[in-house]
Amino acid sequence: MGSMKREFKFFTIPQWKQEQEYLRFQHNNGWRFINVTFPGFYHFEKCKPEDVIYQLDYNSEGRACKTGYVKLFQDCGWEYLQDFFGYSYFRKPASEMNGNEEIFCDDSSRLDFMKRVFKGRIIPLIIIFLCVIIPQIFINSHINNIYGKVFTGIYTSIAIVYLVIFLIFTIQVWQYCKTAKK
Amino acid sequence: MDGHIKKVYMPMTETAFYILLCLQKETHGYGIIQAVQKMTQGAVRISPGTMYGSLSKMEKDGLIYFVCEENKRKIYHITYLGRQVLELEMKRIERLYNNMQEVGQYGKHEEGI
Repeated sequence: MGSMKREFKFFTIPQWKQEQEYLRFQHNNGWRFINVTFPGFYHFEKCKPEDVIYQLDYNSEGRACKTGYVKLFQDCGWEYLQDFFGYSYFRKPASEMNGNEEIFCDDSSRLDFMKRVFKGRIIPLIIIFLCVIIPQIFINSHINNIYGKVFTGIYTSIAIVYLVIFLIFTIQVWQYCKTAKK
Repeated sequence: MDGHIKKVYMPMTETAFYILLCLQKETHGYGIIQAVQKMTQGAVRISPGTMYGSLSKMEKDGLIYFVCEENKRKIYHITYLGRQVLELEMKRIERLYNNMQEVGQYGKHEEGI
């Protein structure tokens, strides 16, 4: 049995591209991805360095009818790895590809993918943001003791993290829209 | 035909066109991918994420329907609405082709070729 390693890495919801690149980089350096566990532990095992493309999909219908979904990807040479927070992980060695292959081949389906991420992950965040985070900042800032200050600080930091996530997502969508026809 | 269908499928993407074209016969997603690759001599290769998303979207929009499952693969077939949309798109592409021929010929005459 080869050696293993574990790395902690945090990717926010819209950073699927960075995550894909990270997993490819590891495989290129002789670390085959095994799985990712909560909250962001990436497990690898030693392997022969190889250029392997990693791709993430977000498809709740696919997750619901797993067999047919995974079968279609397998038919096309993509190995299914796992689901994590709604994302499904796939990989395929570059040597088995015809040029550059991705799991999406046109901008229209890339945008559909982002719409699914938006519905599944970003909208719940916006609801929590508006119904919990913002009211908590407001309430705690009116409490005149140390707890009030601490909680105002905590909720403000969460709000900033949320805003960064929204911003990154907006930039990703905007970049795709710029290149897409519609 | 409602506004949503017109907005999404007129004109439609190359992927959507080939899917509807192939689903005039019952087949599954991978069958479509292979057929399209063959008929375009490898120029159009539909990826699985795009295929899965397109099939579920078209099923929801009533352009195709789910027939059965065979060896874990979902088989689909075109609906009446799907045929109508496909026919309109074929006419549009035919018009494009005819216009291209006409203007192309005209351009050649201009240059005296």
